[in-house]
Amino acid sequence: MIILVIILPVILGLLAFFLKNKIVSRISLFGTSIIFLVVPILKWTNIEWYWLPRLFLDYFQFDAVGTLFFSIMALVFAGISVYTLFYFKEHELSPQRESVFTAEILFFAAAMSGVILATHLALLWVFVEATTLTSALLIYFERKKSSLEAAWKYVYICSIGIALAFVGIIILSIGSRSFDSLFFNDLYENAAKINPFWLKVSFAFIFVGLGTKIGVAPLHAWLPDAHSEAPSPVSALLSGTLLNSAFLGLLRFQEIFIRADMESFSNFFFLLTGFLSLMVSSVFMLRLKNYKRMLAYSSIENMGILFIGITLGPTGIFAAMLHTFVHSLSKTSLFLTSGNILHLFNSKKIGEVKGIIKKDPHTAWLWILSVLSMAGIPPSPGFISKFLIIKAFWLNGMEWLSALFFLFLIIVIYGMCSAVFHMSFGEGESEESVMKRLPPYAYTPQFLLLILLLIAGINIPSQVLDILNSAADFFK
Amino acid sequence: MTDIIIILLGTSMLYVFAVSRIEAYVKTLAFQGLLLFLLVILDIKHISWLNIAFLSIETLLVKAIAIPLFLLIIIRKNEISREVEPYISQFYSLLIAMGIFIFGFAAAFWSAEIGGEIKPLYFGISIVIIVSSLFLIINRKKIITHILSYMMLENGIFLLSLSVANEMPMLVNIGVLLDLFVGIYLFTIFFNKIEEMYDGSHIDVLTELKD
Repeated sequence: MIILVIILPVILGLLAFFLKNKIVSRISLFGTSIIFLVVPILKWTNIEWYWLPRLFLDYFQFDAVGTLFFSIMALVFAGISVYTLFYFKEHELSPQRESVFTAEILFFAAAMSGVILATHLALLWVFVEATTLTSALLIYFERKKSSLEAAWKYVYICSIGIALAFVGIIILSIGSRSFDSLFFNDLYENAAKINPFWLKVSFAFIFVGLGTKIGVAPLHAWLPDAHSEAPSPVSALLSGTLLNSAFLGLLRFQEIFIRADMESFSNFFFLLTGFLSLMVSSVFMLRLKNYKRMLAYSSIENMGILFIGITLGPTGIFAAMLHTFVHSLSKTSLFLTSGNILHLFNSKKIGEVKGIIKKDPHTAWLWILSVLSMAGIPPSPGFISKFLIIKAFWLNGMEWLSALFFLFLIIVIYGMCSAVFHMSFGEGESEESVMKRLPPYAYTPQFLLLILLLIAGINIPSQVLDILNSAADFFK
Repeated sequence: MTDIIIILLGTSMLYVFAVSRIEAYVKTLAFQGLLLFLLVILDIKHISWLNIAFLSIETLLVKAIAIPLFLLIIIRKNEISREVEPYISQFYSLLIAMGIFIFGFAAAFWSAEIGGEIKPLYFGISIVIIVSSLFLIINRKKIITHILSYMMLENGIFLLSLSVANEMPMLVNIGVLLDLFVGIYLFTIFFNKIEEMYDGSHIDVLTELKD
């Protein structure tokens, strides 16, 4: 498996990089996205490919949560690789630039699958840092002054954060001297034997480190900049998969706390930062002028929801798993559609985009439907996940917090929807709108992702439910 | 002997607080790399020979020679000589450094009391290096100083990992080193770009993106 999802993308990326050939880079990109889609299917059906050399089996494994997160990444990556065709065409990139983009995106994908599959805490760290380094160049891909600033902030802030996470890992290894291993399975089994003091100290460092990478408030300084300045497919990849994989790292750490019966300690921090993220995003949502930044703040909000979800017992954890799926797919669709809008109007300002529906109805509808799906308007599965979180609040006797949660959600939904409807239906006073039709691959990925969400919202297939359930059961 | 080396490591941070010539930072960085190398060599009781070989290469070749040399070339090429006036003046910085040292020694005592088989002095000084490099990052304005302070932070983390006697798997060690190397390489790429696009690589110029 590791050959397929980590080493192969790297090799294909290197091929694309050195051959500088359009066809080679496209084959590498689509080949990787097909492999990413096939691997989780094989995993669900329990087929192993025995003819593949089985390297580093101890270090990389698919567990229940890993399978869920990998499947989400595969879907998002497939959508993005199709949309990339439009990005290449729109910017008229030379084969050389195209191959550089492909190579970087493949390295990035390989690093993310490393994060998802790693079974060793320090190895997970290595791959989280690798995702920072590989994605920094992608953020700077358009070579503008503003994207340089965003890329610098991103790579520097995240590197410092991740360095602090490593301090946490070392401190955890002080606390776990009695069994002397940082494999997650050993940590889970011996959670009760870890010295509680060192466990708490290491949590503080790892929480700050990975929290920086996840972009929860107050550690979110880099996130809106990087998400708004990166090319749209990259923004989608950052928001839809990178945040998730860093979140997975913290989830695995939370599991140690659950097993050690100390989750009340970590839950406090998760709840606090979760609500802070909700607050920050709802405050900013009402005054944002840039629609890509708006989507970035929505990512902060959703990461806050995930943080809150995992503190609320089994129901909350299930809701968080479902919400990860909803957020990744809807946000990918939103960011890709924002790429269409940027192409049509050549501006990232909300005020300068009016009447998308007249210029390109397809884009306008995708934009509206994606935002409704993100907001959790039924039949979006986002409704179910948010509803379950509110229910989990009641089950835990925290009714007041659920009211606060609901209030912040309403503000964010209001802010996003009003901007989106304004952009879609607003009357432009400027030149009369000319209908413009984009190539089909600028619409299909978003359309397919929304269809998937619709299916999940109306009647979730039992196989998908099984994956979600087994991922949620993992944390017990 | 190891105690002296560790004290020297701590003092090197004080030196960084006191000077404002960038080349002096780079030399301190190389010196720290050398001290870490000596520490690895002198402290070989717990680790396997493969790890020793790896760690000596990492400290001597990468931390003491390659990265400082690389940064020195960049600095000479861009003709940067001095740090601009920091946010908090040198005098108060030194007072703060003293506070950090007191905290570091306190941490050393606590860690000895709590137990968990670590070497208290290593632990205390590594905390000092980590906290004071974070302070340097906050206080200084030049981007090159930020890169140098990041390297010092990494040195502090390296010392912390030496304070814990157990070893990481080889795969992890290699990964960490690779990340560090690529990280520094990327930092300098961006640093050069910022030098090109803006006049002077000063963090105050990076204020275009905000809400």
